[in-house]
Amino acid sequence: MTAPEARRADFEAEALPQLDPLYRLALRLTTDPSRAEDLVQDTVLKAFRAWDRFQPGTNVRSWLFTILRNTFINEYRRRQREPIPMDLEAIEAHITERPVADEDPEGAFFAQIVDEKVLEAIDRLPDEFREVLVLSDIENLTYAEIAEVLRLPIGTVKSRLFRARRQLQTALYDHAVEMGYLKPARAR
Amino acid sequence: MAGGPKCREALDLLHEYLRQELTPEHMHRITDHLEKCRPCFTQAQFERSYLLMLEAKAKGQCCPDQLRLRILAALRSSDQPN
Repeated sequence: MTAPEARRADFEAEALPQLDPLYRLALRLTTDPSRAEDLVQDTVLKAFRAWDRFQPGTNVRSWLFTILRNTFINEYRRRQREPIPMDLEAIEAHITERPVADEDPEGAFFAQIVDEKVLEAIDRLPDEFREVLVLSDIENLTYAEIAEVLRLPIGTVKSRLFRARRQLQTALYDHAVEMGYLKPARAR
Repeated sequence: MAGGPKCREALDLLHEYLRQELTPEHMHRITDHLEKCRPCFTQAQFERSYLLMLEAKAKGQCCPDQLRLRILAALRSSDQPN
């Protein structure tokens, strides 16, 4: 095996098992399958070029997620729409987030909702909430890993996650009521 | 919604607890609290249902085979001498 072949084999052994999580994150960020595919391919090729800078023993998945997210922000999001500076405070003023746990304490309604509706509801979250929720609650990164990928303080990660979950749970609850899966517990 | 400092700790660490990411000592402390505090126990049940729902409904998507093959081909051609 030549040196470049060994390098590639080494990279493939680490990176290829991460294609599913990379594709899922790309799908949620782009909300478009063909753009998600391009984003994953760009990410993997960039990572391969930078492979010598990866430190063995550190978390390869977080590293790849970081590259994917940076690529998305720098090359994909801009094409998709004008980058609007996010004022989360202003957005939050319009958000209908309620502690739905009070209304269905066991969360039994979650199981009734079809997969697509769950994914649609995730895709409707603001970008800042969606990425943190996907990294944490779908891909199971720790708060520290997420803080690294998103370059945010852990406190910010936690507060965004709290709001992201509330918003998603509220959207799914409202959907469940609308579909008749459950009756609103009480009039508001 | 629950009140005291133990409730605050339990709710703050709830998701890490549900994913079993805390130290054994912390895990034990939260379990102990959830057994005694009904509002926190209820909240834990709700959040557990939420995480199980995402596990079942949002983790099923896989990288398509043709993308995997495209990536492999691109990697292989990138280390060929030109």
